[in-house]
Amino acid sequence: MRTAILSACLTLPLAAPGLAQDLDALPPADLLPLAQAEGKVTVYAFTSRIGRVETAFEAAYPGIDMVGFDMSSTEMIARLRSEAGAGIANADVIYVSDAPLVLSELLASGLIAPYVPPRVAAALPDSAKAPLLQQRLSTKVLMYNEESYPDGAPVGNLWDLTREEWSGKVVMVDPLQRGDYLDLMTEIVLRSDEMATAYEAAFGQPIALDEGVADAGRQFITDLFQNDVVLFGSTDDVNVAIGAKGQEAAPIGFTSYSDRRDNEDEGWALQVANEVVPANGIVFPALLALNPEGQNPAAARLAIDFLMGDDSETGGEGFAPFYVAGDWATRNDITPHPDAIPLAEFNGWQIDPQQTAPIRAEVADLILQLQ
Amino acid sequence: MTARAGLRARLPAGLGLNLGVLALLALLVAAPLMTILMQTLDPERIGAWSDVLASPLSRNLFWLPALNTMALGLGVAAGCVLIGGFLAWLVVMTDMPFRGLVGFLATLPFMIPSFATALAWGTVFRNGRVGGGGGLLEGMGIAVPDALAWGMTPTMIVLIAHYYALGFTVIAAALATVNGDLVEAAQMTGASRRRVLFGIVLPVVMPALIAGGSLCFAGAVSNFAAPALLGLPVRMQTLSTRLFGMIEIGQVERGYVLAILLIGLSAVFLALGNRLLAGRRSFATISGKGGRARRFALGRARGPLTALALLICLVTTILPILLLIAASLAPMASSLFSGWTLHFWIGEADPAFARGQAGIFNNPQLLRALTLTVAIGAVVAFLANVIGILVAVALTRHRLRGISEAVSQLSFLPMLLPGIAFGAAYIALYGAPIGPLPALYGTSVLLALALTAAMLPFAVQTGRATVAQISGDIDEAARLTGAGFFRRIGAITLPLASRGLLASLLLCFVNVISDLAIVVLLYTPTTPLLSVLSYRYASDGFHQFANAVTLVILSISTLAAGLATLLRGRNRPWLSS
Repeated sequence: MRTAILSACLTLPLAAPGLAQDLDALPPADLLPLAQAEGKVTVYAFTSRIGRVETAFEAAYPGIDMVGFDMSSTEMIARLRSEAGAGIANADVIYVSDAPLVLSELLASGLIAPYVPPRVAAALPDSAKAPLLQQRLSTKVLMYNEESYPDGAPVGNLWDLTREEWSGKVVMVDPLQRGDYLDLMTEIVLRSDEMATAYEAAFGQPIALDEGVADAGRQFITDLFQNDVVLFGSTDDVNVAIGAKGQEAAPIGFTSYSDRRDNEDEGWALQVANEVVPANGIVFPALLALNPEGQNPAAARLAIDFLMGDDSETGGEGFAPFYVAGDWATRNDITPHPDAIPLAEFNGWQIDPQQTAPIRAEVADLILQLQ
Repeated sequence: MTARAGLRARLPAGLGLNLGVLALLALLVAAPLMTILMQTLDPERIGAWSDVLASPLSRNLFWLPALNTMALGLGVAAGCVLIGGFLAWLVVMTDMPFRGLVGFLATLPFMIPSFATALAWGTVFRNGRVGGGGGLLEGMGIAVPDALAWGMTPTMIVLIAHYYALGFTVIAAALATVNGDLVEAAQMTGASRRRVLFGIVLPVVMPALIAGGSLCFAGAVSNFAAPALLGLPVRMQTLSTRLFGMIEIGQVERGYVLAILLIGLSAVFLALGNRLLAGRRSFATISGKGGRARRFALGRARGPLTALALLICLVTTILPILLLIAASLAPMASSLFSGWTLHFWIGEADPAFARGQAGIFNNPQLLRALTLTVAIGAVVAFLANVIGILVAVALTRHRLRGISEAVSQLSFLPMLLPGIAFGAAYIALYGAPIGPLPALYGTSVLLALALTAAMLPFAVQTGRATVAQISGDIDEAARLTGAGFFRRIGAITLPLASRGLLASLLLCFVNVISDLAIVVLLYTPTTPLLSVLSYRYASDGFHQFANAVTLVILSISTLAAGLATLLRGRNRPWLSS
C-alpha cells in the first residue's frame, strides 16, 4: 500500500526528481506562476509567528493559500515521522528549531531535504547553507538582573558559577526537559579546551579532573550540578527567577537573550552577561527545509524564499515577525536590530549541529547521573 | 433459527458482547499501544529497555521517579477518595445547608487546569530558594521551609486539590442511588448512624470508591504540570516528567519505555482494585423500587462540617480561578495584582502593547474554535459513553475469564499513555487508507476517534461503578419477557444509570475540551480547537492571552457542570430535602 502511494506521488509531474532540481535554481519570479498553479503551501512551524507570515505571504502572492501549523519541534518530528510512515505528505515547508535532533531524526532519514533560495545564497555564510538552510539565530546565554547588580554582570567567568557563593543561585531549565539546554551543555563539553583555559584564569591553576571525568567541559557540568544548580520546567520560570525586580541578590542563569525585549512589559531587569569567558552560552539556528515528497514544490520554495526576507534593509514583511532584538538574521545584508548587540560582538558559541548531534545523548546520560 | 438458538445455548452468555467490546478496544487502544511497544522493540532501539531498567542510569531514569510516582499516585488516590467521599456524603446524605452550592463547587477543581492550582500554591507558599521573590507568606514575614514550597508535599496537595473533584463526582453519583429501603430498614431496627454508614452505605458505594480512587491514581501518576512546576526546583522527578523530558530531548524510545513501565506499574495497582471489586458478590442496590433515604441529621456537627466543606471548596476553586483571572489581566506575570487591563481580552491590535497582539475576542479564530471545541467535546463524550456503558455491562453482567481482564485493563490504558505517543500512533495506524476504508488523515474523524479512546477510562470507570449497583433481577425479568439486549439497555440500564452517566458525560466533555497533547498532533487548520489556540499564545510567551483562552474553556466547563446539575435536579429532586 505504501509503495503504491509513493509511486503514485512520483508519477505526478511536479514531483519528478529532475524537475525538482530545476526548481531549485529558479528565481522567485519564475517560481510564482508555478506556485500559483499549485495554489497552496503548507508550513509546519515551531512558532505561532507563522500566523503573521501567512497574512504577509498571501498579500504578497495572491492566489497561493499558505496554511500554517504550529507545534513544538518535538511534536513536529513525531508528526512528520508518523505521517511519512503512513505515506502522507501533508507538509511542504518545515520551519524548525532543535537542529541537532532535526539532522539525526529527519534529514538523515530523508524526511526533509535542503533548499537554499538562489536569491539570498550570496548573502549567507556557508554554515547557514548546509546541511540545512538557517534562517535566523537565537540564544541560550548567561543573563543576570541589572537592577540587582547595577555595576554589571556579577561573574566574569563561567567557572565562577561553580563557586560556593553561587551555590543554589544558578538557575536554568532542566537540560533533560528541553533540547536547547541540552545543546548548551553539549557545547560546553565540545569546548573543553576553552573551558580548561578559563578554569586556569579563574582559579590560577590547571584544572584537575575528578576520577572518571573525561574533560574540562564534563567537569564543569559535574561541578555545576554539585553546586546545587536549580532546575525549572520552562524558560518563563527562569526569566522570573533571574529577572524579577525588587530582588536583593537575584540568581543568575541561562535563558534567551531576546527575552530581554519583554523587560518592560513583564517588569524584569534581564541583561546579558556578554563579558564572560570563555563564552556566555550558545547561539543556535532556526532551520528551513523542504518535504521531498511535498505536493507543492514550487510554492514551497517560494515560501522559503519569502521567509528569508526581501531585499529591504530589515528583510521586509516576510522576515518582520523574526526581526527582534536578541535574534539575528543569518543573511549578512540584513541590518542588525538597533536595540541589541550585533552578532559579531556577541560572546556566544555558535553551535555546529553536526558536531552536537553525535555526543548529545552521551552528555544527557552524564546529566542524568548527576541529578 | 433453531440452529442459532442451539449455538447460543452452548456459548457462554454475553460472549458476543464481550468479544464485541474487546474488538472495539483492540482497535481504539490496543493497536496504538502495540505500535508504541513495537517501536521500543526495534533491534536498533531495544537497548532503551536495559538503559532504563538495568544500567548506571536506571536509578535516576526509572527507579527514583517510579518511587515518587507511585507514592504520589497512592497518596493522591487516598486523599481524593477521603475528601471527595466526605463531601459527597455531606451533599447527598446529610442535612447540611448549602448542599447545592457545595455540590456544584466540588465538581469544579477538576476543570481548572492543574498548572493554575500549582501556580496558586506557589503564589502563597513560594520561598526564596529559586529567586524571583517569595510568595504571600514570605511577604508577611513567615519563613516557608523548602519542604512546603517545593517537592513531594506541595505536589501531592495540589494534585489532591485538583483531582478530588473526580472522586466527588463518581462517589456522589453512586451515593445518590443508594436504596432508601435498606437504610430505612436498618434505621427502623435501631441501627446507629455509624452502623448504617459502615454497614450499608460504604459497602454499596465501594465500586464507586474504587472507580474514583483508580481515576485519581491514574490522573496523579500521569500529571505533568504540577510535578514540573513544584518538583523540578528540588530535582524531584516523576515518571511523567521523565518521560516527557526524554521525548523532548529526542530520546523517544526511552520515553516510550518509561510510558510502558508506567502503564505496567499502574496496571498492578488497578488489578488490586479490581480484585477488591470482584471479591464482593454483588453491589446491586438499585432494584427499581424503593425511595430515597431520609437525610442524616448532622446535629451539633452541622456548623463545623458545613464550614469545613465550604472551606475546602472555596480554597480549591476560588483561589486558582482568581489567580487565572488575575493572570489574564495583569500585564506583568511578576506582579499579578497590579495594572490590570482588559486588553488581553478585548483590546485592538496596538504595536505599543503586547507586541501588537489583539485581545482574544478580536481573534477571528476564537468563535470557530469555540463552536468546534464544544461540538467535538459533545460528540466524543457521547461516543465514549456509549462504549463505556457497553464495556461496563460486559464487565459487570457477563464476566468471562480472560476476556474481562483484558477489557478492563485496556479500557484504562489511555489515561496513562503520553498524548504525543498516542497521537503519533493514530496517524501511523489510521492516517493511510486501510483496504476499502478511506484515509482518515486530516479529518476531524481521526481527532474524534483518538479523543474517544483517550476518554474511555472515565466512561468505563464511571459506567462500571453505576452498572454494578443495578440489580440484575430486573434485567433478568426483562430478558424472560423477551426483551432484546439493546432494548434492555435502553429501557432499564440507561434510565437507572442516568445519574452516573450524566457525571461521566460531564467528565469526558470537560476533559476533551481541555486536552492538548493529542489534539496538537492531530489538529488541522480546519479544526482549530480552543486548547490549540491557548497553546499558540503560550508557546510564544503571550501568557495573558493563553490564560484568557483557558478561562473561556473553564467557563464552558462550568456551564456544562451547571447544566448537569440542573438536569440532575429535574431527574431526581434529591437536592431539596
